[in-house]
Amino acid sequence: MMSRAETKQIHLDMAEDLVSFGRKNGADEVEVTILDGSEFSVDIRHGEIENLIEASARSLSLKVIKEQKTAYASSSDLSEESLQKLISSAVKRAELSSPDNYAGLPPKQKIAHDIDALNLFDSQILELSPEKKIDLAQKTEHIALQDKRIINSHGSSFETRVINTTLVNSHGFSHAYNETYCGLSLGLQAGQTDEIVEDYWSSSKRHFNQLDSPEEIAAKCIERTVRQLHPRKIPTQRVPVVFESTMTSWLMGFLFACVSGVSVYQKTSFLQDKLGKKIADDRISIYDDGLIPELLGTTPFDSEGVPTQKTVVVEQGILKNYLCNTYAAKKLKLASTGSAEGTGVAPRNFYLNAGSTTPEQIISSMDKGLILIRTLGHGLNPVTGDMSRGAYGLWVEKGEIAYPVAEITISGNLGEILRTIEMIGNDLQFRSPVTGPTIKIQELMIAGT
Amino acid sequence: MKRIKSKQPLPYIDHFGLADDDLHRILNIALSQGGDFSEIYLEYKIYSFINMEEDIIKETAESISLGMGIRVISGEKTGYGYSNDISMDMVKKAALTAASIASSKNPQKASLFFPPKPIHNTYPILHPAHEKSLEEKISLVKSAYQAAQKFDPKIQKVKASLLDLVQHVRVINSEGLCAIDVRPLLRLTCFAIAEKNNKREVGYHGGGGRVGLEYFREELSPEVIGEEAAKESLHLLEAVLPPAGEMPVVLAPGHSGVLIHEAVGHLLEADFNRKKTSIFWDKMGECVAKSSLNIYDDPTIPHFRGSYNIDDEGTTPKKTPLILEGRLVGLLQDKLSAKLMRTSETGHGRRQDFTCIPIPRMSNTYIDRGEYDPEEIIKSVDKGFYAHKYQGGQVEDSGKFTFSVSSGFLIEDGKLTTPVKQATLIGTNIDILNKVEKIGHDIRFGLQTGTCGKEGQAAPVTDGCPTLKITRMTVGGQ
Repeated sequence: MMSRAETKQIHLDMAEDLVSFGRKNGADEVEVTILDGSEFSVDIRHGEIENLIEASARSLSLKVIKEQKTAYASSSDLSEESLQKLISSAVKRAELSSPDNYAGLPPKQKIAHDIDALNLFDSQILELSPEKKIDLAQKTEHIALQDKRIINSHGSSFETRVINTTLVNSHGFSHAYNETYCGLSLGLQAGQTDEIVEDYWSSSKRHFNQLDSPEEIAAKCIERTVRQLHPRKIPTQRVPVVFESTMTSWLMGFLFACVSGVSVYQKTSFLQDKLGKKIADDRISIYDDGLIPELLGTTPFDSEGVPTQKTVVVEQGILKNYLCNTYAAKKLKLASTGSAEGTGVAPRNFYLNAGSTTPEQIISSMDKGLILIRTLGHGLNPVTGDMSRGAYGLWVEKGEIAYPVAEITISGNLGEILRTIEMIGNDLQFRSPVTGPTIKIQELMIAGT
Repeated sequence: MKRIKSKQPLPYIDHFGLADDDLHRILNIALSQGGDFSEIYLEYKIYSFINMEEDIIKETAESISLGMGIRVISGEKTGYGYSNDISMDMVKKAALTAASIASSKNPQKASLFFPPKPIHNTYPILHPAHEKSLEEKISLVKSAYQAAQKFDPKIQKVKASLLDLVQHVRVINSEGLCAIDVRPLLRLTCFAIAEKNNKREVGYHGGGGRVGLEYFREELSPEVIGEEAAKESLHLLEAVLPPAGEMPVVLAPGHSGVLIHEAVGHLLEADFNRKKTSIFWDKMGECVAKSSLNIYDDPTIPHFRGSYNIDDEGTTPKKTPLILEGRLVGLLQDKLSAKLMRTSETGHGRRQDFTCIPIPRMSNTYIDRGEYDPEEIIKSVDKGFYAHKYQGGQVEDSGKFTFSVSSGFLIEDGKLTTPVKQATLIGTNIDILNKVEKIGHDIRFGLQTGTCGKEGQAAPVTDGCPTLKITRMTVGGQ
């Protein structure tokens, strides 16, 4: 077996050789990325192993620019002969594209931050035995199935991933880094056959010792499942709506699509032409931060080799920045925010800043309204900000949870929601790269009976 | 479309260089810990992509992937290893990983396999896209782009792209099976954004399937794809948000097939029933829908996006009735579920690629035609909603589903009136199946561009249905 450091050097050499080969064979600019990953995953259902997967895979992707014309290619065959053929054919394809004044790799930038200090790699994950991994998943499900209200299990899973990313370009960028992930998840059902309710819960971290315990995951999953038992239908009406933190995260995902520089220059965002303008309540500040150590969205540089950073997206309700890769930045006459991922942009740690109210205080402030706990469907339109989704919730009366609600839809407009956020919780957690605390929206349309 | 002879051998090319003896040895290594069944899945895929926006061919991409997956089944357990490094060492390692799921003292031996027999080709093609020049493909993309752009001055932005791939698949297993497939897949899509009084709306259209480039001359021209995308965006500019509440809903033929895909299809995938998580698991043979309702899944429809000659376990697929005269009669089976449920395979074991374990999936799912005139169906509604195009849908095992309707109409006094956008339809499947009041005689299929996701695996699918009237359904809106 080769050591991690040796593998890293082999990939850097391979990428550098290919970049030179591409330059010699007609490309003005070349970027080469190598991903080398391994995964382990085990699914447990009713105590028994259902699936066990262990594997590794490598792939190389490249971008060439010739006379401002771009072509991409990728291959899982990393032999020198195949790669040279791949890049030569990419140069030929580039010649058939149209010149684009905005095409080009980013100028060389130094990575000012210490890659190791971001602490994205946990060697403990490599040392976990298969038995330990299987045991974690078994234990999680076992605890949950002790609860009499749980009638069936979708199973529990434990997975780990180790990824080495190497990026080299013809502007002299040449870096590599290692990262790890581990995740433990559980899905449960409760209720009788014709009125089954279900939910999932999971924990996902870069470091094994930060993962939630099987007890915590089982307890949370049971609570989230059984609180939906015996739902009622409610009449169609407009009411205040509290978004649980998981739902705020979902809303932030929709917002990300609208502050993406790519959507903005493509005119597919309702927030185009809104830079410097007020788009949200004064209390709203939203950031994208790629530099918080250990978090899931943290990386030292983006897929083009631009160093990541903390970007203020919304500050006290004012839209301050779009999140851009090099191309979108040039189009919009802005700077790249280190957000490139493939040909588009991706969030690093994109979050709505926490407020000072507890989630309990937010709920008790509602005389009558809905706590949104899950949504279903695809009804999001970044061009208009319109959203319409199937929803599950908890009905609140006089500041207290009265009963669960199902078979409703919520609809509204993201622009309007941002302007009418009335309260912001203090419960911000970085469970996923896109996140936010509990929030209360003045009013949304609920369709029921 | 002109049909060519389907009896020609499949143009399968081996890219792995492993001799049959080696493969047989790997099957035995995989069984060495006592598994009941071992299987090797070999996949080679070339993919190409052209994207046009802002009046230029912005990028082209090409991707080549090669890999193998080795699976071992022992009782209800599955072990899986994969690799895209196909040296014998790495392949053995993957086989041993998969083998480790089993623990029996008396390992079985794999049966010898023989070269695959010639099979009926569901998608014989004269002009496979991957053999055509990039210039020829670029001109198709430009035609769609320009047709959308020219359609109306209100069209502000267009995006057109062409994706073509060919997937070479070989499946070998310890029961002596050896089967191959060569699956082309082509898709041309166009998005158009129209703007008026600071309001913007997006329209979408596309087509393709397991077809060659001739499809765009003979079946659906790039110009029509561009124009339809433009028309939809203009239509939505005039659209209002729907009223909210329960009302009669008429589902347009074709696109509304997504309803059957979500509300019924997923929950008739065998794994959910074997695990008793689907609401249908104890309802086999029972009446679950109006007696006029017949639902099928058919992977053998020529040239359809969801079709295949063999599934990803090498099984020859069958047109599978799911609901006949309102009665639940069938499930979509893969090998594992069929074995554990002691029933026969239907050829619905599919996987996204060599990194994935096969699971039961839909292919081309549809509600069969009924007896009503579609116009009569609309006329029978005083006040209701007509759902025309969809963004997608989602279902839970409990049968609760959601569809996002991107465009539709209000129905007033039996006529389609105001255009409507961004509505959500929700319901519970058995409830809705029993509220299907009228079925049209106009069966159609939706766009040949759909992809279904399950457990993180994407699979190309299509769905279809005639005009349908649902007595009452909850519509989400303003």
